[in-house]
Order: sequence, then structure tokens, then C-alpha cells
Amino acid sequence: MRREQGNRCSRRRFVRSTGALLAAAPYAITSSALGAGGAVPASERIAVAFIGLGGHGIGRNLQMFLYQNDAEPVALCDVDRRRVDRALKVVRRRRGERFRCQITRDWREVIARRDVDAVMISTPDHWHVPLSLAAIRSGKDVICEKPTLTIAEGRVLADAVRRYGAVFQTSTEDRSVDIYHRMAELVRNGRIGKLRRIFVQLPAGPDQPGDPRPKPVPEGLDWDMWLGPAPWKPYREGLHQFHWRWNRDYSGGQLTDWGAHQLDTAQWANDTERTGPIEVEGVGKRHETGLYDTFYEYHLVYRYADGVVMHVDSGGTGLRFEGTDGWVGNDSWRAPLKASSPEILRSVIGPEEIHLYTCPEGEHRNFLDCVKSRRDPYFPAEVGHRCSTISHMGNIAMELGRKLRWDPQTETFLDDDTANRMRGRASREPWRI
Amino acid sequence: MFTNRFAVIAGIVALLAVGMAVAPAAEGPDPAAVDQAFEALKTYDWGSDRAPLEALEKAVAACHKDEAARRQLEKRLAAVLGSDVSNAAKDVVCRQLSLIGSAASVPALAALLPDKELSHMARYALERMPCPEAVAAMRQALEKTDGLVKVGIIGSLGVRRDVESVPALVKLLSDADVETACAAAAALGSIGNAQAAQALRGFLAKAPEPVRMAAADACLTCAERLLAAGNKAQASALYMALTKPGQPKHVRLAAMRGLLAVKGQK
Repeated sequence: MRREQGNRCSRRRFVRSTGALLAAAPYAITSSALGAGGAVPASERIAVAFIGLGGHGIGRNLQMFLYQNDAEPVALCDVDRRRVDRALKVVRRRRGERFRCQITRDWREVIARRDVDAVMISTPDHWHVPLSLAAIRSGKDVICEKPTLTIAEGRVLADAVRRYGAVFQTSTEDRSVDIYHRMAELVRNGRIGKLRRIFVQLPAGPDQPGDPRPKPVPEGLDWDMWLGPAPWKPYREGLHQFHWRWNRDYSGGQLTDWGAHQLDTAQWANDTERTGPIEVEGVGKRHETGLYDTFYEYHLVYRYADGVVMHVDSGGTGLRFEGTDGWVGNDSWRAPLKASSPEILRSVIGPEEIHLYTCPEGEHRNFLDCVKSRRDPYFPAEVGHRCSTISHMGNIAMELGRKLRWDPQTETFLDDDTANRMRGRASREPWRI
Repeated sequence: MFTNRFAVIAGIVALLAVGMAVAPAAEGPDPAAVDQAFEALKTYDWGSDRAPLEALEKAVAACHKDEAARRQLEKRLAAVLGSDVSNAAKDVVCRQLSLIGSAASVPALAALLPDKELSHMARYALERMPCPEAVAAMRQALEKTDGLVKVGIIGSLGVRRDVESVPALVKLLSDADVETACAAAAALGSIGNAQAAQALRGFLAKAPEPVRMAAADACLTCAERLLAAGNKAQASALYMALTKPGQPKHVRLAAMRGLLAVKGQK
């Protein structure tokens, strides 16, 4: 993106090449850094930088990486200094009070480092792709929160990942959760016959429209950097702490947020994870006043080329796959699997059948393994982009109030100039995709 | 119990689907509501109630197949940009013009391009508008702008893959401002024609350190565009230039992958 430079893995190479010297100077380095007591030697640890340290950034992503012995936190970055301080405390609780690493509000300082192997991005959605691209272009691997902000930027991201051979994980746990993995495998292996209909439930909300009035920027927050590529607007208190998700400049609402979970399983089970539906129509409701302008209620119908119809409705979470010979599904997030017959639930997937890629230890473990093996993680950029696209299509169809036809090959809407315009947005200077 | 819930939902959805299937395209708002929206724009500012403006969004969505209505609405919106309203009001208008704007609204948007506070929203509209006049306006604004505003315009020209901008962008590769040079390289990579490739290849060897990475990335993108267009010779030449030892390892690997793609293309 801007002023990128660097060779990857130089830190690990440096540690490897100087390991003998350091071993001869035991007072200069701890024994655990060299692998004593079951610890992974520093030379084998993956240097991970953390950009975006809100509730999920610290509470899930940073914490999960701290449990991985082969990951070393080397940078903590957030536009809000208070969050960086909070994150440092969390790391020190686990790694000791003497733990030190780079602390910054400017992600460019992190990306410029040659000794950072991988980046965990947990920012608001409008920064996901620009930051991922900057990291990939400077030779880093990326695990990034979902979803994308637009269809166009998702395509740029997937192309860049392929071009550089980068390891990219769309950061969700679903493909590591047994219920969803099992659900998808049962459908893919024909246990419900030929798939006909998919029902997806996603949460509704927000209930309140939010306060649109500008407020003074809190001390310690770099508001201009928070906005980044989004249109300039004054600071509004109601955007902070997750609630940016209800504003279209920064996200696509519940549909894109939860869609990245449940729609991924739908795509996985339908074997359409690298393509998508060909038609969408639906209706939704938005607050007509206030700060929040994403759809808080939505009812969408998608149609795939093979005739499968997918219904996406707000009002909870859950999945159901209906086929010619039965159904499987569940009633809420991570709820037990149900099926039309006990035989389906007991069914064993044979060795010659389709076994879907998973990693029960979760998305972070899967990512680290892939950084080493150079294999694609279980939710790679192309698949993540296609999943987000379904949600974006739904939002565009609701905004325009009409049925849209989609060509998954060219990733364009058919015969609808306005819808095609809505596939991308200009970035505020100096940022670009 | 929960299974029943899905059955109920399925029923509702089926009814909804049938309803939607026969429903006409989005109906436009009451003309009086649109008039009120334009009136509200006169005093609209950050933090104002946006409810009165909702009619504009509905009107834009509804004029999909009504050319006369679209032209009329566009004309009224463009006129607001030349009036004494707040930047917040112009922000609203640019968003709507981004969806229905045509050559007719380009002059009003082009006038905002040099304005530091409104340039982005002007590009927000112009970048989305398929008419050649929109790109021409941004190309012409290159000469009249500098700093971050210019960087933004360069980015939009890259997104639009404007071939006519190539000569100006080639000159900007050697701009003293790092942001400008990086943006020019990225735009040339995105445009990805033979002329852009030639300039990027020449620039790659002499790019100053802060621009080197952007130049390499632009070359990779450009080579891919050339290959997609069937220009294997120039794509290979770019990839070969990127395999030189002076390039970072990840760039060299990407270039090698590119060369394999060239060999593999029939």
C-alpha cells in the first residue's frame, strides 16, 4: 500500500544463524527461548503482530494466540492507545511482567518491519482488506477477521493472495466446530439425497437507531486513522466498541457479520464455496433516522445455478439443509445437530467418501500450521470473498428493492448498472486497495 | 420444537418469496417527500436527523428503468453541489450521484475534486460512474491538484484502468513525493497495458527505496493483466525483471509463479 519493504522471516533466520553464539552466552538469553522445558525455540516461533485490539481482538484473537507456543507476539497496534495498553497487560499476565514488544497506533510501522512473519487483523471491517493487502504485499502471512466491506475489494484481496502465494485465513471458527463440519459432510456425501433448499437464520439488530450527533474525539484515539479509507465524518460516540458494525460506511450489518459464519457452512455443504448464487431478491428494514443504517431485519431468497434455493432470514441463528431424502440442521449457534432420521445422525463417512478439511483446534492453530506448511488454511481468501459476496449481494438487492441476477464467473450483476456500481467504493486519500 | 420453528419460517419465507416474485420493482417515494428532502438538504449538517433524506435514496432506487425520472433527479442533485450547503449535505448528494450520475453531473462533481474536504466524495461518485466524462474529469484534475488530493485521484484513475492517463502517470513515477510516486506505480500496474509495462519495467531498477515495494507490486499486477490479455512476451519480461536478486524474496517467488503461469498458458 504505502512504503512497504522487507524480506520475510529475517528474524527467524537471524535467530537461527546466531543461535550458537547465543547458546554460548547463557546470561544473554533464557533457556526457554532456546526450547528448554518443552518451549518452542525462538527460531521456530512465528512472529505475529496484532493490529486492532478491541473486544474481539484482545478477548479472542490475542488470547488464542497466547495459547500457541509457537507464536510470538511482536507488536501491538491500535488507533486507540488505551486499547494497546490493555492488550499489553493481557500479554504480560501470560508472558510475564518483563515482556516487551512494539507498541504503536500506526499500523504502517508494523508492516514496515522485516521481522514480522504474520499479522492478525481485528479492526472494523472497512480496514480488513486494505491492511491485509499491505501486509501481503510486504511479504507477510495474514489471519484477518471477516467480512470484506465490498465485492470489488474482496476480489482484489483474493487475487493478491494467489499472486503472492501468501497464507491467508479468514478468521472464523466454524470450520473447526464439529457440528458444522459434520453437517457439511453429511450433505456433501448425499445423506439427505440431493440438496434442494437451505435455510439460514442470522441475528437481527440493532434495536436502537443510535445517536448521530458528533462528539469530541476521546483522548488517545487517532480518529482520522480509525476512519482510514472511509468517508470523513466527525467522531460519533455510538460507533465505538463493535457498534460501527451498524453503519454502512464501515460494515454491512448483521448480514455480513453473521453471514460470514452461517453462510460459509451453507456454501461448504452446497459445494459452492468458490462460486455463488445466480439470483437474489429480498426485503429488509432499516432505521430511517439516527446513526445506524444497516438492515436490522432482512428476508432474502437466493437461487443457485443447480436449482438449490437458499433462504436467509434475520431473527436468531440456525441452519437447515433439505434434500430429496431428508434434512439436517440445528436450531441455534453451535446447537446440537438434528436430522430427519436417526440413521442420518449415526451415519459414518467412509474412507472413500468426501472428507472436508478441518482443524478442531481452531482457526488460529490452523493458520500457524499453514504458515509453516504453506498449505491454504481452511477458510482461504477466495472462499471468504465468495462468502462475503453473498451478504453484499443481499444488501444491494434490499437497498435497490429489486431482484438481481448475478454472474459468479465475472462477478457482475446482469443488466443492472446501479447494482454494479455498488460493488466497490472509492477509498479516501491516501488509502487505496 | 425448534424444528417446527424452521417449518414456520419456511412457510413465511415461501409466502414472502411468492410475494416478492410478483411485487413490482421498488416504488418511488411521494414526490412531496422528495421535495422535502431537497429542502432538508439546505440546513442538513453532521448529526442532523437523516429521516427527511430517506426519500432521496428511495427515489434513486426507484428510477432504475425510468430514464426521464433519473435525469430529472440527477439534475436536481447536481444543482445542490453548486449551492451554499454544508459539506455534510454534499456528502449525501455525492453518494446518490454515485448511483445514478451520468455525464450531466460530471461538471458539478469535477468542481469539487480540488477541494481537500470534498475531493474524496467527488471521486466516490465519479469513480463509480461508467461514462468516459467521469474519468476524463479526474484525469484533467491531475494537473490542478497536489498532495493527498492528487494521490486520491491517481488511485481512482487506477481503479478505472484509464489508458489515457498513462503518459501523465509515467511522469509521476519520478515525483519527489513518495505517496504520489507509489500511487502512480499502483495505478499503472492496474491499468496494465504495454505502455504501462514498459514504464514500470524501466522504473523498477531505479526506484528509490521507499517506492521500491510499490513498484514491484505494480509490476506483478501489470504482468498478470498483460498475460490475461495474451501479451506473453511483455508479461515474461516483467516477471524476469522481478526475479533479480535485488528484489525481496516474496516478490521473486511471486514472479517465478508468474513465469510458470506464462509457460502454462496455451
